[in-house]
Amino acid sequence: MSQFILEFIQQIINGLTLGSIYALIAIGYTMVYGIIGMINFAHGEIYMIGAYISIVVIAALAMIGITALPVVLLLTLLMTIIITSLYGWSVERIAYRPLRGRHRLVPLISAIGMSIFLQNYVQIAQGARDIAMQPLISGGWRFGDAGGFQIYVSYMQVIIALVTLAFMILLSLFILKSRVGKASRAVAQDREMANLLGIDTDQIISITFVIGAALAAVAGLLVGLYYGIVNAYIGFIVGLKAFTAAVLGGIGSIPGAMLGGVLLGLVESFSSAYLSTEYKDVVAFSVLILVLLFRPTGLMGKPEVEKV
Amino acid sequence: MKKFKVNSIFAAVIAFTAVNTNADTLKIAIAGPVTGPVAQYGEMQVIGAKMAIEQINAAGGVNGKKIEAVLLDDVCEPKQAVAVANRVVNENIRYVVGHLCSGSTQPASDIYEDEQIIMITPASTSPGITERGFKMVFRTIGLDSQQGPVAGKYIVEKVKPTKLAIIHDKQQYGQGIATEVKNYVEGAGFEVVLFEGVNKDQKNFSALITKMKSKGVDFVYYGGYHPELGLILRQSREQGFNAKYMGPEGVGNKDISTIAGEASEGLLVTLPADFTKLAENSELVNLFKSKNEDASGPFVMPAYAAVQIIADTITATKTEDTVINAEYIHKSSFKTPIGEVSYKENGDLNSFKFVVYSWHADASKTALAD
Repeated sequence: MSQFILEFIQQIINGLTLGSIYALIAIGYTMVYGIIGMINFAHGEIYMIGAYISIVVIAALAMIGITALPVVLLLTLLMTIIITSLYGWSVERIAYRPLRGRHRLVPLISAIGMSIFLQNYVQIAQGARDIAMQPLISGGWRFGDAGGFQIYVSYMQVIIALVTLAFMILLSLFILKSRVGKASRAVAQDREMANLLGIDTDQIISITFVIGAALAAVAGLLVGLYYGIVNAYIGFIVGLKAFTAAVLGGIGSIPGAMLGGVLLGLVESFSSAYLSTEYKDVVAFSVLILVLLFRPTGLMGKPEVEKV
Repeated sequence: MKKFKVNSIFAAVIAFTAVNTNADTLKIAIAGPVTGPVAQYGEMQVIGAKMAIEQINAAGGVNGKKIEAVLLDDVCEPKQAVAVANRVVNENIRYVVGHLCSGSTQPASDIYEDEQIIMITPASTSPGITERGFKMVFRTIGLDSQQGPVAGKYIVEKVKPTKLAIIHDKQQYGQGIATEVKNYVEGAGFEVVLFEGVNKDQKNFSALITKMKSKGVDFVYYGGYHPELGLILRQSREQGFNAKYMGPEGVGNKDISTIAGEASEGLLVTLPADFTKLAENSELVNLFKSKNEDASGPFVMPAYAAVQIIADTITATKTEDTVINAEYIHKSSFKTPIGEVSYKENGDLNSFKFVVYSWHADASKTALAD
């Protein structure tokens, strides 16, 4: 194979890894928007908290002598999801539920406040320095002839892609098949009607926040393992990108968020590769604008019908 | 109960301000990142400056006044730096040691110059800061235009790479020094196959690394700070991209080894000469040791020197009129832990030495060439 093709494949792999993380976080934005029509700007911080918790849990497990890799990963995944979900749930209870029924700008401001609060809270609680962690999983596969350009796929990249895929399938099944999933779709369609039909809408909204936070926790864990460095401000940029991914895919649509995330990752990877790293954000947001020009509701969003 | 709480906080605030407005001390602001990703460098500055202040106070202070350090946090952000500078003005502080990052020093120094506040930066190396004919702005550190050629010379004479890439973080400091290095190596006939900026706070560099790998790059110079370079090193090793890396003093920090692990072994770093190795500093170095503080950080001794220059000047001129003080600094020479210091018209040091080090995975370093 020519070097160009090998390089192209490598960039696809790079983009998919990045895009998987965006997709996991984007789902949190899109689900909340789908159900209560609000953009939860504190969601990036939930992801940041997930990354912190995963590193703390891994360090704690190492301290009590648990080092067998599968056990560590499983326990960390569970703990991170549980604790981060608690954060997601509390944020909704404290900052959004009391404001239900107000003008839609009110919870938006509350969300921005929550975002700033969480950044500063983590900075005070965990210290201002970056926390770095040695890689737990290193190594990977090489393809191609030894002399020329080799494609490199690290185990971590494969784990990121597989874990993302697994959680996407789980989530889709949950939304499509389970009672709660059906209820949440009903709430998304018409909250008042769903309420009249006996669905506890507050509970459904809480569950939505918990699911979003759980997926952000998974993203945080994967990023903690992959990059090995966290600080209190990593949520801001990634949150913005994931939000972009959600809008790109059509905000409110779960498959859209997945598609948008992966697409954004690929766009960034390719613009870094064939234009310049300096322009990757320019290209990413240009693609967003172009898509919105031709499909104002995003790639997979349904046209919003104004309810009378 | 609630009211009581509010009152007690209020009282605490008043008490705090009261301490700060004590007129019998000479206040020196130490401005730099206390928090944020490069807070380690701010800490070096604080360690050096505080030690100098303790020493001077123990010896009786300046003209009978004790020096009081006022610690201000600019998080290494230009916007925050302006807020800090305004606070210095409002609190009527006349002397500043700092700021640290060139990007913060630049906007803050505008305010200091206007308000005739003396600022000595122990860390900002961007030439732009002293290019504006300011009278109140000084450094106790060298310039990118001195550091760049040291790196460039080493690359050209010792490394002799065939395919050279230069990456920077698009900040005043990083891009500035990367450009200096680029000019030097291109002047020596080397071709730079890639000159590109990355984003500050970027975490994923895999696309860039793949690109360098496919171009067959065998040497990378990075202009910027350690959080980004640490990740680049780590991800390079992961992709099997084995080029040699080099960076300025902004990457020479023990955290780069925490982030990059084994991948930081063999990294080349230009740092100010290690002042702790100078024979005349041995007493001072022991003093740092006895306080359990690390004197070897690149900005510790320059910060010490900055405080010392301010104190010596006020003692010699017997006034806190900063215009007279600044004139004195311009025309005098000072004996400091960074050597004999004298100034050019624009506030740059007449001479300052950078040395190339080889970095190790355990965060130690070996000097390679003078």
